[in-house]
Amino acid sequence: MAEGSRFSIGRTILLLVWGLFCLLPVIFFATIALRPRNEIIAPKPIYFPTISVETWAKIWAEWPIMHYFMNSVIAVSGSVLICLVLGIPAAYSLARYQYKGREDIGFYILSTKMMAPAAVAIPIFFLFRAMGLLDTVWALMLVYAAMNLSIVVWIIRSYMIDIPHEIEDAARTDGASDLRILWSIIIPMCLPGIITAAVIAAIFAMNEYLFTLIIATKNAYPLSVALANFSGGSDGIIYNAIALVAFLAFFPALLLVILIQNHLSRGLTMGAVKG
Amino acid sequence: MTDAVLPTSALRMARRRSPFRRKVFPYLLVAPAVVYLLAITLYPGIFALWRSFYQGRFKLEFIGLENYSDLFGDEAFWHSLYNTLVIGGITLAVEFAIAMTLAALVYRDPFVRGWRIVFLLPMLFMPSAVAYLWKLLFNDGRVISDLLMQVGLASSNIDFMGSSWLARGVLVVTDVWQWTPFLFIIFVAALQGQDKEIEEAARLDGARWSQVFFAISLPLMRPVIAIALVLRGIDILTMFASPHIITQGAPAGDTETVSYFIYRTGFKSFEFGYASAASVVVLVLTVILAQSFVRRFFRSGRE
Repeated sequence: MAEGSRFSIGRTILLLVWGLFCLLPVIFFATIALRPRNEIIAPKPIYFPTISVETWAKIWAEWPIMHYFMNSVIAVSGSVLICLVLGIPAAYSLARYQYKGREDIGFYILSTKMMAPAAVAIPIFFLFRAMGLLDTVWALMLVYAAMNLSIVVWIIRSYMIDIPHEIEDAARTDGASDLRILWSIIIPMCLPGIITAAVIAAIFAMNEYLFTLIIATKNAYPLSVALANFSGGSDGIIYNAIALVAFLAFFPALLLVILIQNHLSRGLTMGAVKG
Repeated sequence: MTDAVLPTSALRMARRRSPFRRKVFPYLLVAPAVVYLLAITLYPGIFALWRSFYQGRFKLEFIGLENYSDLFGDEAFWHSLYNTLVIGGITLAVEFAIAMTLAALVYRDPFVRGWRIVFLLPMLFMPSAVAYLWKLLFNDGRVISDLLMQVGLASSNIDFMGSSWLARGVLVVTDVWQWTPFLFIIFVAALQGQDKEIEEAARLDGARWSQVFFAISLPLMRPVIAIALVLRGIDILTMFASPHIITQGAPAGDTETVSYFIYRTGFKSFEFGYASAASVVVLVLTVILAQSFVRRFFRSGRE
């Protein structure tokens, strides 16, 4: 590896500065989750607060945080399941068959990623109202699935394209059906791609804010919108509860991302960049 | 699991492999996904178009194109488009510059995995949580003001919501903090994927590192850069959580994005017809953008 200017002190300082810019707010946020309410909004910011886990008990008693957490888990995992059930066959079709309109179908699926959530928010609201699904996790699940389906199809498609045809051809001459090949050969071989797609879809679903805000009004609050509700009259915004919930969502996301870290760039570009 | 999606007749169809059935089979595989997506794109499009010809909350009254003429005469709408482009443009440019610099500095570093984990931490928080974090740092907790005062850059508390450019700056910083890693991760992967030998040969010929980067590495990355910017650009242009939580359009609508405009007119003022007209305009813009950019870039990105 070439030494010299690339490994100079200036370079290290730049990286450290950005690293600190990333880390310090995170650390500050963590201390917010641990400090009593009167030390959050003070005339002068308090950088070394009295740390106490006791505030957690208060937050826990005051808000049904476990309920919100479970709403998130159900809506997110359900949406990922829908995405995989619909997305894997679609990806297989786009990756492995030659047929008329294939490119257009693939592009149509991709283009749904470009839809601005705000532009479809009003019709979606009336749709779920008509179906009686407002303020249910089912509505959230359906919306998250719709939002992520394009990503899931394109990521998995990119991994399927990479599988050599020879293996399938051999299985086919042995008399295996196309669905059999998909199930027993293709799916196991592109499992990293499927996991990557699932993780990215899960994180995006966990993050969703606009649709969630208009669909969930109380009972169905998942974490992303529940925290917008932590403001109680004279107390103003209850930042330690917000920080606590933020970290409750952060740690699962961190674990999932570490699991797929070598596939992250490929997942984030919907398969276009092979990292 | 996959079997359950398809009718069992599809199974039999594939086995028998009559020419007609072989032709239909790939369509059957892709159909459920397409139908599902049509339901959430085509239906809302048609609904918004229909609703945009009416006014009223409960009793709908047909008013033709009046919502559109009002919308195009509404300064707030044009202002929100302007804000979206200005805030979005600045944000995207800053994120690109930082991500590319960091990626160039780090991609041959033996500790690249460590840097990557640290740099991507902000991306793992929910955007609504990040919006509250920066609301606290800039406004309610006065942390940024305090830090600026301590290094002598400010003499008193700064009211970040008091000036339009400061308020826009808050939205930019919030987005840059959270989403620069998105571009960084993609750029690092693209640089790592490039052939080391070309680089080393150029270096042996006496080319400086910066020459190698700008003459070889960067041009090779063009398709990747295009895709990354398109994906990030879409997200930035639909920015909603931070305006909703931090600024709510303040001051005087100078941080109101198009997404927030639709939300405000629809779900705060309950002018659903009017907001639907704005939705239709945004959908048309989206289709134009998708047709002109995305298709081309994704094709070129696939080699």
